[in-house]
Order: sequence, then C-alpha cells, then structure tokens
Amino acid sequence: MAMSSMRSEGGKKIDEVVWTAEELDIVEKPNGPAAAALLAAAFGSLVMGILTTWAAAYTGFADKINLQHRVGPLSGKVTFAGLAFVIAWGVLSAALWKRNLQWTPVAIIAAVLIVGGFTGTFPKFFDLFEPG
Amino acid sequence: MDLTNREAWTAAHGMIFGALFLLAFAGGIAGLWSLRPEWVTRAGLSERMLRLKVGVTGMALVAWATVITGTYIVYPWYRAKPPKGVTDLTPYPKALLLGTPGKEDWHNFGMEWKEHVAWLSPMLATAAAFIVLYYGNQLIVDKRLRWAAMILFVAAFAAAGAAGLMGAFITKAAPLQ
Repeated sequence: MAMSSMRSEGGKKIDEVVWTAEELDIVEKPNGPAAAALLAAAFGSLVMGILTTWAAAYTGFADKINLQHRVGPLSGKVTFAGLAFVIAWGVLSAALWKRNLQWTPVAIIAAVLIVGGFTGTFPKFFDLFEPG
Repeated sequence: MDLTNREAWTAAHGMIFGALFLLAFAGGIAGLWSLRPEWVTRAGLSERMLRLKVGVTGMALVAWATVITGTYIVYPWYRAKPPKGVTDLTPYPKALLLGTPGKEDWHNFGMEWKEHVAWLSPMLATAAAFIVLYYGNQLIVDKRLRWAAMILFVAAFAAAGAAGLMGAFITKAAPLQ
C-alpha cells in the first residue's frame, strides 16, 4: 500500500499519496542515461546554433557545408547538428549509463546549451555577424 | 478541389504533421504533468503509461518527419531561383518575398528563423521520448526525471511552435503552388 504523507499548501494541510519504487515493482535505474539524452539534445541544439551563426558570418563556410545544392547550406547545418546529437548521445551514454549524477549541474549545463541553440538560430542574433 | 504536388506536400508538412505534433504534445504534456502519485492508482498507471509512451514516441517521430519533409522536399521549391527573364515570381516564393516591397522580412526574419529553429525540436523531443520510454513507471517516484522530460518537451514545442507560426504566415504571404 502506498504511504500517505501530509504537506502544507496555502496554509492548508494536504494529505498526499507517496508511492515507493517497490510498490510499483520498479527497480530504480540511475539517472545517467537521462542526463546523457538531455545533454546530447542540448549539445545538438547548440551545434545547430553555432553552425547557423558561423554560416551567416562566413560565406565561404556556408559554401563548404552546402552538401545538397537544392537545399543549400541548411543541408550541412542539419546534417552536422544531427550527427553531433547522435555522437554525443552515444559517447555520453557510454560514459554515464550506470552513474547517478547530481541533477542541478546537469540541468544548468543543458539549459545553457539549449538557450545557446535558440539564440544562435535567431535571425536578429546571427544577422549581427553577417559581413556588411 | 485539386491540390498540386507542391500544395499536397506543403499541407502534409505543415498541417498534417503539424496537427499531429500539436495533438501529441497536448497529450504528452498532460500525461507527464498528471503523473503524480496522488492522482493515479496502481491499476490506472499501466494504462496511462502506455498512452504516454505512445504519445511521446509519436511526437518525436512526427517532429523528425516534419523537419525532414520541410527541409528536403518543400524548402527546395521555396528557395528555387527563377530563370532569367521570368517576371511572374508566383512559383518562386523566396524571390517573390524578396522582390515585393514590405514583404522582405517574411524571408529575412521569418523563413531564416523557421528553417533553423525547427531542427531543435526533434532532438529535444527524442530525448524526452527516451526518458519516458526508458524509465516508465519510475517517473512517478522520481520527480526530477519527470521534470526533465517535461522541460525537454516544452522546449521542443517552443521550437516547433515558432517554426510552425512563421510557416503559416509565410505560406499566407507567398504560398507554394
């Protein structure tokens, strides 16, 4: 049977159910695989942001990552960002699979990378680096 | 009531996949949010978990389908350069937007943002789906795992939402025909 505990919310005492892992037949897994997935997605996002800004700043670089002429430089950006995501996920999973990590640093690093990805793909930002 | 090949692919990319993505997001986020010990019974948990797993996996798959069809099928038509001497730019949306005073920013801001930010969505949604699939019932006892999945989910939705909104406006300003 799940345990019952009391907590306070808005001055009222609330009776809440607290399940334990054993009651749900769960063998608790370490959080390393989740951290690996989170950080890999965040890293892939950042790579997309960096490539977008880099290609805006240097026409020569944009030409180099033009992997498919019909699509243009976007083809290189999405290919390399996707590869970064997959490779990072593989590497981080291998390193963290059986580990339990502190969530706070993982969350902070992931948040910084994701915000970097959103910023780097925002035109008002990468336009700042476009050659005059 | 005919759709051209381009219109059909544009509709599949934006409306069919987009609508499925929204549906999967709404179901997924509601499922994750309500996955609280005080709101579920043990019997209800297995039914709810199956629905959640199907929803988040569907969302990730649809996100990939949307960006891949958008980038490799629809976008080349959008950015195609008109041959020299062509005066009717209707079949060339990018050229049409850039050549119409007052509409340049639909490309310079709208399309430039959409084509890049959209790609964050499938990566973030895939990570969220992995967490739900791999940990399953553990999400109910580990609040931080559940929050990690929800934040990834919302970030994936934010990226897709920005791209989808810009796509709708651009399609209105210069439809692919």
